[in-house]
This record gives sequence, C-alpha cells and structure tokens, in this order.
Amino acid sequence: MTALLQLSGITKTLTGQDEPRTILAGVDLTVHSGQSVAILGRSGSGKSTLLSLIGLFDRPDGGTYLLGDRDITRLPERKAAALRSAEFGFVFQRFFLLKHLTAMQNVAMALVNGQGWASRRQRRARVLAALDRVGIAHLAKHKPARLSGGEQQRVAIARALVREPRILLADEPTGALDAETGNLVVEVLRSATDQGCGLILVTHDQDHAAKMGRVLRLRDGVLA
Amino acid sequence: MSGQLRSALIIGVQGIRARKLRTFLSMVSLFLGVLAIVVVQAGSQVAERAMLADVELNSGKDGTAQLFVPSNPKVPQVLAETLTGRSDAVAMRSTSATIGEPGVRALNPGASPFEGPGAGGYGYPMTCDSQGNCTSGEDQSVPKGVAIEVRLTSLTGDVRQFRPYRQESGRWLDFDSAPSLAPRIVLNKQAAVGFQRYRVPAQMRIAGATADPTPQIIGVVDDGGYGAAAYVRQDELSNWVPSTTATAGTPDPRFGGGTSVLLSGAGTDVERVLKSRLAANGVDPSQLRTELVQSRARAASTLNLMRWIFLGMAALVLLIGVAAILNVGLATVGERVEEFALRRAVGTSRLLLAGIVLAETLLTGLFTAGAAIGVGALAFKIAVPLLGSGRMAFLRDLSFPWQAAVAGIIAGLVAGVLGGSIPALRAARIPIATVMRA
Repeated sequence: MTALLQLSGITKTLTGQDEPRTILAGVDLTVHSGQSVAILGRSGSGKSTLLSLIGLFDRPDGGTYLLGDRDITRLPERKAAALRSAEFGFVFQRFFLLKHLTAMQNVAMALVNGQGWASRRQRRARVLAALDRVGIAHLAKHKPARLSGGEQQRVAIARALVREPRILLADEPTGALDAETGNLVVEVLRSATDQGCGLILVTHDQDHAAKMGRVLRLRDGVLA
Repeated sequence: MSGQLRSALIIGVQGIRARKLRTFLSMVSLFLGVLAIVVVQAGSQVAERAMLADVELNSGKDGTAQLFVPSNPKVPQVLAETLTGRSDAVAMRSTSATIGEPGVRALNPGASPFEGPGAGGYGYPMTCDSQGNCTSGEDQSVPKGVAIEVRLTSLTGDVRQFRPYRQESGRWLDFDSAPSLAPRIVLNKQAAVGFQRYRVPAQMRIAGATADPTPQIIGVVDDGGYGAAAYVRQDELSNWVPSTTATAGTPDPRFGGGTSVLLSGAGTDVERVLKSRLAANGVDPSQLRTELVQSRARAASTLNLMRWIFLGMAALVLLIGVAAILNVGLATVGERVEEFALRRAVGTSRLLLAGIVLAETLLTGLFTAGAAIGVGALAFKIAVPLLGSGRMAFLRDLSFPWQAAVAGIIAGLVAGVLGGSIPALRAARIPIATVMRA
C-alpha cells in the first residue's frame, strides 16, 4: 500500500503571552491510500494543531513531513496553497459555509481559488457530481439558511471532495450535529476512502472513531 | 485572463452583491470626489477651448515674429516695395473707414460691434485738459446716418498663414490677381452683422483718401475680433490713399497706432532687409522691435497651472471618499475573517486574497466613476445648449470631453487602490489555523 503522507518526529510549541507550551512532542504518523485514521484525545491535547500541520495551515517546529516522497516540511506559502488546493480536502466542526452563496456556489469556492481554471460548465458539472456524491444534489440552489445542520455539513464535505483530494482532513465534523446526523456524516466521509482517498478524522466520539480503519490517541504530545 | 484574475473578479462581484448596501454607501462617499475630478477636467477643457479658440486669430500662431514699425510717411512705400509678392512676411496697417452715407455719424462709432459686449458703441475718444475736464470727440453738429465704421486693415499678402481667420462665407482676398480700382474687402463677422441689418450705400470714406471709392464686399471671415473690421489689399487701398498724402504713414491710433509686419520666425533675411531699409528711410532703429508670438503656449501654461490647482482641490475631496472606502473595507475584512481563512484553507493564495479585496474596491471605484461620468455628461449636455446660446457661443458644438471621462475612471481606480490596499493586506495576513480552530 502506498504511503500518502508520513510524519516523523513532528514537534510544535505554541508561544503567546503565557509560557511556551509544547503541544506536539514528536508525532509519528503514516497514512496510506484508502486508509481511514481516527485521532482521539482530550480537549487541548493538540489534535487540531496536528491537523493544521498536516493540512499545511501551519509549519512544524521540528521533524519531517513527507507527502508521497516529497518533503514538504518547510514549504513556502504559495506552494502550500497550491498543495492545499490539489491534495487536501477539509471538513470542520463549524461548517464554514458562506451564507450569501448557494450550496452550489459554496462548493464551487474550492474550484475558484486561482489554482487553475475550469469553465463555468465544467465547474457546474464537478460541483453537481460532488453534491450528488453526498446525496444532496437536489439542494444545489439552496442557501445555507434553508439547509439543516446535516445538510450543511454535507455541503461542506462536497466542497472538500470537489477537487478529488488525496487526503481528507476532518476536524470534529460531527461536533455540531445530533447523533443520527453525525453517523450519516461519518458514513459519507468514510465512503470517500473507497475511492482511494486517505481520511484523518479528529473526534471525541468513540463510536465514530470505531468506524475508522485505525484509531490513535494523542496524549502528552505523542500519538499512540 | 489568468485564473487568478478571473477568480478575483468572480469572488469580488460575489462580495459586492452580498453587501449591496455597504457598497452603495461606499460609492456615495466616493461619488463627490470622482465627480469633482470629472468636473474640473471637463471645465478645464471648456476653459481651454474658450481661451485658446481665438488666441491664434488675435495674436497669431505661435512662432510668428511680429515686427512693430512706428509711424513714418515713408513706411508704407518701404513696406510695399519690400514685401509685395512675398509669402513669408505680411505687413498689416489699420485705419478707420466708414461705409455708407457721406457726411454722417456712423451707426457704430469707433467700429464698435452690433451685438455682444460693446454693442451700441465704444463712443468717441475723449479729450481731457490739464484740469481733468473731458469732452467727447463726437461732433454733435454732424447728423447721424446710415453708415458703418470699420477698422480697415490693409495687407501686403495673405495673412492667414500667421492668423488663421476662419472663412464664414464668400472668399478671401486674392493677392495674385491684378489690383482693382474698386477695393475688394472682406468683412469680419461683426461688420457683416451691421451690413445685414442696415441697407448701406456703397461709398467708403477713408482717412487721407483722395476720393471715396466704392468697395466690393467679397467675403466674411471670423477674425476673433469683437469690433467691426474689414480687410483689403494694400495695393488696392494705395490707389485711393497714396503714400504721398500727409496721413499715409499715420495709422489710426484707435486701432493699434502702428504698422506691424508678421514674419515666419525671428531673425530672417527679410526682417534684416526690412529693418535696414526702414532705417535708411529715417525710421529710428531703436523703435523697431520684434516680438515672438507665444500666446497659445503662454495661455496653455496658465491654464495648466489652474487645472492642477483645481485638480489638487478635487483630489482632497476624493481623499475623503478614499478614507470612507478604507473605513468600510477594514470593517468588512474584520467581518469576513472566517471567509478569508476558509478561502485560504481551500487553496487561495495570500496574493489572490489581497486581489479579491482590491477587486471589490476597484469595482466599487469603477462603478462610482461610471456614475460620476454619467452625471457629469448629463449636466454637460443640459448646460451647454443653455450657455452656448448667449455670450459663450463657442460652447455650442462642444461635446463632453473624453479626457474628463478618462480622469474620472483613473480617479475611481486610484481611489479603489488607495482605499482597498490596507484591507487587502489585512485579509492576506489572516492566519488560517487560528480562525479555523475557533
């Protein structure tokens, strides 16, 4: 099985007004194509920080980050943006949908980001395919205010999938949903791995974690 | 268009549509500033037209050298001998002529215009004694009659190469044909008005003439002058005002008081020869002075200075609009932190994010410029026919100057860049990780 990404000895210390605090103290993680990984941990244990490093929102202080066989530990911002667009899909606890845009336009946001250009027809086809994949193509023209929480999260998942990323990063995607809707959303996320996409799910929910291929716990800055 | 630019425009338009009221308020605050720029630019074009329209007619084309020759009985003869048949130098001498009934006072004393400013007569010259007691030169004993006084300018050649009089009707003087005993004259527009209004007998009285000739009016020109004037060939006039008469070398002081020679540039051979001959015939060389015409350049320079002063003031008004855009832009970026962080999360670069904010303010600036140009053009369209019917006749065929529209667009774009640059930088610096974790 191909290693999609490989973290070795990743460290991160947060500095602010208080004393510096080591969040990650040597994280090792390998994710293969089609593999789903759940990361559990207490609040403040560094799960979201780890996810933001994997998603290239931030840089680690130490360690090595390989994407395929390419070292992307210290990537310039412009290249990081291009990689985020091409390789990663993101799903957040809060759906982060723009209320003035329709579901279709929210999904299309990932295609109108200056990383290549698709015609309006191509964009429409890809967006509808992504919405269809999460089962809400019929809601394409609805604005977020007219969608339920589960539907909104599925729009967010469609936005993450529309560029067909190799790695899907989900940061507590069910945190704002009821149990039944949460299960549905996790199922939609997990199904993305059927087509070879890697999935890293950060969650507090043991049941959702149990549905993933591997379950890891982040404790004292290291994964176990 | 590149993907980056298209993306910035699409997202920018989405942003404007999502915040229509805010965009409208930004436009309102910017509108006056852009309108001020448009008005100043349009106004300066109109002023330029007003100032420069007749400057060449009155003063001559820039680069023309004008030699002023003092009064002297031998001057006409020297000028005629030296300049006749030449195309690079023309002598002009003005005197008074009255066309119409003999022995009467003219309808327009002093060659005053028949309409517009000065209509009704400049009056006769006043004579004042050392005590300050002034009396009018008008001879009350002479009855008023149907006669028109003109400033009659005799020419040794075609003067239009130096002063481009506009032909209104008929034809200009033909200097190649044999001189006629009935002097052919070309009227200016003001004189033509008088001849249209009154039935005037064709008898011309000229100061110093041996007899009253019958003139032939062959055309009308616009010479940019306000008084009634006529132009005649010098050789045709000399048939009736020989250089041997006492007043031949004495032009009418009311019309400039001297003879001038227009030359194609200073320091030419013809100027040197002319000066030598005049000096040999008793003209004091120190009184022969040459001036290079630079009226248009001088007027344009003054106008330019005025334009920049007014543009500076308009720019201050524009700056207030820029401050308003900046204020709204900063507030909007603060509200859209999550949106911008999300856009970066899905692969939008910092540069494009800044571009999106700039695209919004630039589009706002452009829309405002469009509105200001539209209002300016509309006001221009309404005002021009109203003003052009009266004293400002030069406005009649004036269309909204394209320079004003260009200035408006530039002002709108500059305001967009100035007002949007700081919000754009703020947007580009939003940290994704912090926002997405919140």
